[in-house]
Amino acid sequence: MIKSGIIKAAIVGCGKIADSHASQIGRIQGCEIVGVCDREPLMARQLYERFPVKNYFGDLSELLRQAQPDVVHITTPPASHFDIAATCLQAGCHVYVEKPFTVNEDEARRLIALANERNLKITVGHDDQFGHATRRMRALVQSGYLGEGPVHLESYYCYEMGGDSYAEAVLGDKRHWVRRLPGQLLQNVISHGIARIAEFLTTESPQVIALGFISPFLRAKGETEIIDELRVIISEEDRTTAYFTFSSQMHPSLHHLRIYGRRNGLMLDHDQETLIKLRGTRFKSYAEKFAPPMIFARQYMGNLTTNLRSFLGRDFHMKSGMKYLIESFYRSIAEGTPVPIPYREIILTAHIMDAIFAQLSRKTSRTASVPQPLSVSQ
Amino acid sequence: MPVSPELNARGVSVPDVDAGTESAAFIAGVDDPILITGANGFIGLRLVENLLRRGFRNLRCFVRRPSQRLVLESLLASGEFGPAQLEVVVGNLLSGEDCVAATRNVAVVFHLAAGRGEKSFPDAFMNSVVTTRNLLEACLLHKCLRRFVNVSSFTVYANGRRTNSVLDESCPVEERPELRGEAYCFGKVKQDELLAEYGGKFGIPYVIVRPGYVYGPGKTAITGRVGIDTFGLFLHLGGSNPIPFTYVDNCAEAIALAGLKKGIDGEIFNVVDDELPSSRKFLRLYKKNVKNFQSFYVPHAMSFGLCYLWEKYSAWSVDQLPPVFNRKRWHANWQKTRYSNQKLKARTGWAPQVPMADGLGRYFEGCRTAEHD
Repeated sequence: MIKSGIIKAAIVGCGKIADSHASQIGRIQGCEIVGVCDREPLMARQLYERFPVKNYFGDLSELLRQAQPDVVHITTPPASHFDIAATCLQAGCHVYVEKPFTVNEDEARRLIALANERNLKITVGHDDQFGHATRRMRALVQSGYLGEGPVHLESYYCYEMGGDSYAEAVLGDKRHWVRRLPGQLLQNVISHGIARIAEFLTTESPQVIALGFISPFLRAKGETEIIDELRVIISEEDRTTAYFTFSSQMHPSLHHLRIYGRRNGLMLDHDQETLIKLRGTRFKSYAEKFAPPMIFARQYMGNLTTNLRSFLGRDFHMKSGMKYLIESFYRSIAEGTPVPIPYREIILTAHIMDAIFAQLSRKTSRTASVPQPLSVSQ
Repeated sequence: MPVSPELNARGVSVPDVDAGTESAAFIAGVDDPILITGANGFIGLRLVENLLRRGFRNLRCFVRRPSQRLVLESLLASGEFGPAQLEVVVGNLLSGEDCVAATRNVAVVFHLAAGRGEKSFPDAFMNSVVTTRNLLEACLLHKCLRRFVNVSSFTVYANGRRTNSVLDESCPVEERPELRGEAYCFGKVKQDELLAEYGGKFGIPYVIVRPGYVYGPGKTAITGRVGIDTFGLFLHLGGSNPIPFTYVDNCAEAIALAGLKKGIDGEIFNVVDDELPSSRKFLRLYKKNVKNFQSFYVPHAMSFGLCYLWEKYSAWSVDQLPPVFNRKRWHANWQKTRYSNQKLKARTGWAPQVPMADGLGRYFEGCRTAEHD
């Protein structure tokens, strides 16, 4: 529980995503940023100079000792998440870790166990799951719109390489930290799309089949390590199945979740913030050719109206999902309510990602050691 | 009116340089090691050629990717410059070790590498300020630096004075660059501040060069000082404003002189050519020589009003629309301003070797070629 009534937040890691955290924390009533920290003090100072922040630090222990935050947001590269989060938990702080939560399931389990042991809370920055349309989708699923539970899900999480400074930095630097992650670029990007599936799975250890390869586009640039095309099948025996697609090449570059139940389905477009209901029943004869397009047109108009209303109400920021997640997390801390993202879901996301990277790694090493006459994965 | 120098096979201006006469006025001899960061870039490549042409034989070119070696190495392979050593170093200026290796024994650093950051302030800051700090620290370690030349930009000027006043080196720099809404401006202001701090604290001899809009073959964009096409329609915002162009070879010449001339430590130089066209004239020439397209002229009073409204809405909505258009940006980019290059001419002897008409002709030709490709 927070003694002062005001939540004192701190941010560790002052790169690009830290700006979003500082902005969204600034939009939330009843909290303040008491410190920012980066092992490069210049980076900490530039964040301090641009946002209402009380102090900046180049050392984590100094931040924890002097600023005494209630919550620490960790926005450093993923390989450092575990150590920093563990240090913050041991210092008695609640922790918000940017995605990916950790570099593997084992670290995820250990962090959550540590949080539980210290009676503290922890969450992961899967803020895409808290956008306006996603929240409407969740409410519909919970109301039983699908009928029982999901039968099948399709999650698209694409990434456009061209012209992106981050992609350029990764591709141009063989020592870039992304290349040292077990899942390299995939590890840093796909957790949003995997978490959307994990939310609706019920077993702890679903079957995962992954196929990954380097796109011809990257190959032509001389890239030999970064896998940028991934297709995954996830299956809970006799229950729910899911397809996951990550692509740097396909267009449109989708961020979709399609979820099908026994009765109805739903189609979520994260970029457009639209949610479309897919009726499970059919109209008779020619009516099926004319009625559904009209129903879809009406639904899209409804989405337009909803989005406009949110925009005019000043509640349609690009990172509105992050604000909602942070606010929900802070409320769970202040009021002792459940965390917005169940720990089971965080661990399951890490589990699926581990399974994907293990398979890709095996295929890569096999391809490297044994001459293959024809390999679909290469 | 100056006569345009000849072009070599790569389309680079070949000025008549008498290396022997010049060297007495320079702080570095032809065999002294010189480091150029961003050497493969739009200006960097021209600077390397400029230095080679002046007879400098010991150039260290710092690039980010191995593939960027080729274009630099092909310079020497052309046989145009006689015996010279051009060492291409591949590295990352965010690495202190790479900076230490790159600056070993160097007499002059020409620091051109910069992070534009696009919309990301941390990216722009990291790739401009942190990299510069690393280089400066490395120079301090070696204790052999005679000058550090930082290539800054006109973007740093606040330009909040009266319409049609002259912008020169004495004009104030943005005090709160974070409020401009331009990551590049923030990075460049902070980079200049850092350099001045190191100059004052550790005695690092430095010169800051601030070019206007550098243009030439290889660049196809229309500068935002003329207008923007953010909303799918080209909004012409410049009107009768002179546009502070500097042709890439003229700019490279200015940077070279700023790095080499004796007696100019601690100085700042704006780089802008003579005979600047108005925004309206430039746009007309562009449409005639490259491609025709629809543009919509927004009078200055209206563009100022729109920037003001955008700024106010952004604040009211707590950045639902980011504050990328605001009064500070309007003053810096679209307020009618005249530009001076008198200090650069007087202190370094610089003169634009490629006249504006020739420069624009070459630029338009490059744009046409890019359009066809």
